[in-house]
Amino acid sequence: MDEREPDSRSRPQNGLLDERRHTSANEEPIARIGLRLAAWYAIVFVITSLAIVLLTYRLLAASLEERDQQLVISTLREYSQRYAEGGLRALADAVEIEQRSGRQERMFVRVVRGPSETLLLSAPYAWNDFDVSRLRGRGELEELLSESGTARLEVASARLPDGTLLQVGKSSENREALLARYRTVLAIISLVIVFVALAGGAIVTRSTLQPIRQLITAVRGIVRTGRIDARVPVRADRDAIDELSALFNEMLDRITTLIRGMEHALDNVAHDLRTPMTRLRGVAERALQSDDEQAQREALVTSLEESERILAMLDTLMDISEAETGTMRLDVTAVPVAALVREVVELYEDIAEDKHIHVSTDVETDLTVPADAKRLRQALANLVDNAIKYTPSGGRVEIRARRDGTVVRLDVTDTGIGIEPHDLPHVWERLYRGDQSRAERGLGLGLSLVRAIAIAHGGTVDVSAEPGRGSTFTVRLPADRQIASITRM
Amino acid sequence: MVEDDATIADFVSKGLAEAGHAVDVATDGEKGVALALKGGYDAAIVDVMLPRLDGLALIDRIRARGIHTPVLILSARRTVDDRVKGLQAGGDDYLTKPFAFAELLARLQALIRRSTGQTEPTRLSLGNLSLDLLSRGAERDGKPIDLRPREYTLLEYLLRNQGRVLTKTMILSHVWGYNFDPGTNVVDVLVSRLREKIDRDFEPKLLHTVRGVGYVLKAG
Repeated sequence: MDEREPDSRSRPQNGLLDERRHTSANEEPIARIGLRLAAWYAIVFVITSLAIVLLTYRLLAASLEERDQQLVISTLREYSQRYAEGGLRALADAVEIEQRSGRQERMFVRVVRGPSETLLLSAPYAWNDFDVSRLRGRGELEELLSESGTARLEVASARLPDGTLLQVGKSSENREALLARYRTVLAIISLVIVFVALAGGAIVTRSTLQPIRQLITAVRGIVRTGRIDARVPVRADRDAIDELSALFNEMLDRITTLIRGMEHALDNVAHDLRTPMTRLRGVAERALQSDDEQAQREALVTSLEESERILAMLDTLMDISEAETGTMRLDVTAVPVAALVREVVELYEDIAEDKHIHVSTDVETDLTVPADAKRLRQALANLVDNAIKYTPSGGRVEIRARRDGTVVRLDVTDTGIGIEPHDLPHVWERLYRGDQSRAERGLGLGLSLVRAIAIAHGGTVDVSAEPGRGSTFTVRLPADRQIASITRM
Repeated sequence: MVEDDATIADFVSKGLAEAGHAVDVATDGEKGVALALKGGYDAAIVDVMLPRLDGLALIDRIRARGIHTPVLILSARRTVDDRVKGLQAGGDDYLTKPFAFAELLARLQALIRRSTGQTEPTRLSLGNLSLDLLSRGAERDGKPIDLRPREYTLLEYLLRNQGRVLTKTMILSHVWGYNFDPGTNVVDVLVSRLREKIDRDFEPKLLHTVRGVGYVLKAG
């Protein structure tokens, strides 16, 4: 025994250690969740936004390029037409008029005869950068990179009917400048996006985690102070977190009920055991002071009997407390009531016969009730025991069982001494014994146990009696209760 | 016997010695295993709550070593857990504290009987009282006695345990299968009925009341 003690004591210590560990690391888990949430938010937001920006840029660049190319090709066609109509002279005029008008940005125009004889070259001064001799003059469109590498010359070539080569080109410089400006704008927009993503992530995370943080704080407060009557605040939003808070409160209610019930039960057990323990002690003390061996033997026998009684009482009190606090383990099955009644009647058959009491039963055929068979038998046995005990010789005891709407109703009726009206409300109380019942042997716990078992099954008890004529005790149990739902805890 | 409470170990081993059994006591689980491994025991009595190694772990350990000595488990818990019930299905038995010594003795001897595979008798008798288990007939001094089914069950139970005290609880659970105190003592009533039939007109009286404990069937 003694060696076992440290084990049981070390358990609460472990609990304390656990708690300390939790509280020291208190802010960390939620902060980690918050960081993760915010990071994910920001990453997703930034990637999506940048993808859109990039796509816009690409589309813009592509359409500008296409426009330029179309311009180059249409100009090439126009100049070919001019050359065909009026030769090189007409072409040169057209180029000059075009460029003087300043309507369009200047274009590159070149006419080459033979392998390398340039007949006409019109190009902005800045375009000297391009090494036009590298143009091969084949194909519709070719690109020429400037020597500095900053711009491209897009050139379309056409072989004219007399064998000369006409080339029209356009620099991508302007386009590039436009795109460069656009890139700057996009860069600024991207910066704004990143900032919004981070800030948004933080805000969203904060507001999402806020109720969880509150819940943690509230729960930790309860754990630390041990004040189980405190409750977690529940907002009206009815989202998942509120549901969690509400459930948590419900659990606390349940725990409170259990603890209160257990405290109450423990008090009762301690109180109720004091009387028989005092008796036991008294008997032993008297025996020690006596020299009479016979009296000592007698005292030993009494002690033994008294200890049996204490044990029986302890068991019954525990049963009652368990049933009252809802911790009684019920093994619920569909109990055939007729068989149950028959068993109980058999148990008391001999006693009833000895006392010349007629026991009759009236049970609806095929009646079953969802219940713990052993517990129900115990309850019914207590009622029958009571009935036979308080019924004088020649009397009658009747057990009736039938379905009554949504309940199964068990009645035990006797023609016994009945119960005084002022005792009637108290018969279910633990250790309460009416004046008439004091003469009988018993623990005074039988009816309390019956009531406790009925309550544990979600049922009720009832009594009606008339002094001198008899009593009827009634147990009502739910008839349709889901079998699984009763095995609580 | 593996039991850490010295008083319990003492009264049980003294009682068992009086009943003709030799008992070794170990005070914790580890010592219990060591004792069991020495072998040669007809049965073991093991408390569930033991220092260093609990009773159920002890049983696992000795079973793993191939020792199949039947075990009577002592438990202070009011409700017997499933583990212990499982062991009971495996041929061992359990008893909840506090227990009557008479019950411990009876359970222990039943365990030993079962494990040594003693053959079932077809006839039980004590003095000139005999019970035929096949025809279910009882007679004393050659005169047939008419027994009701429950009286028969009780007499058979008493005859199988003759010389041994049976408590009211034991009788209640054996005859009716009840494991709670039904209040009014139905056992007393049944015993007095049986006594009426087997003892009233005969000598010597066989069915005796042991006050504060229970009943015993013995000659003289």
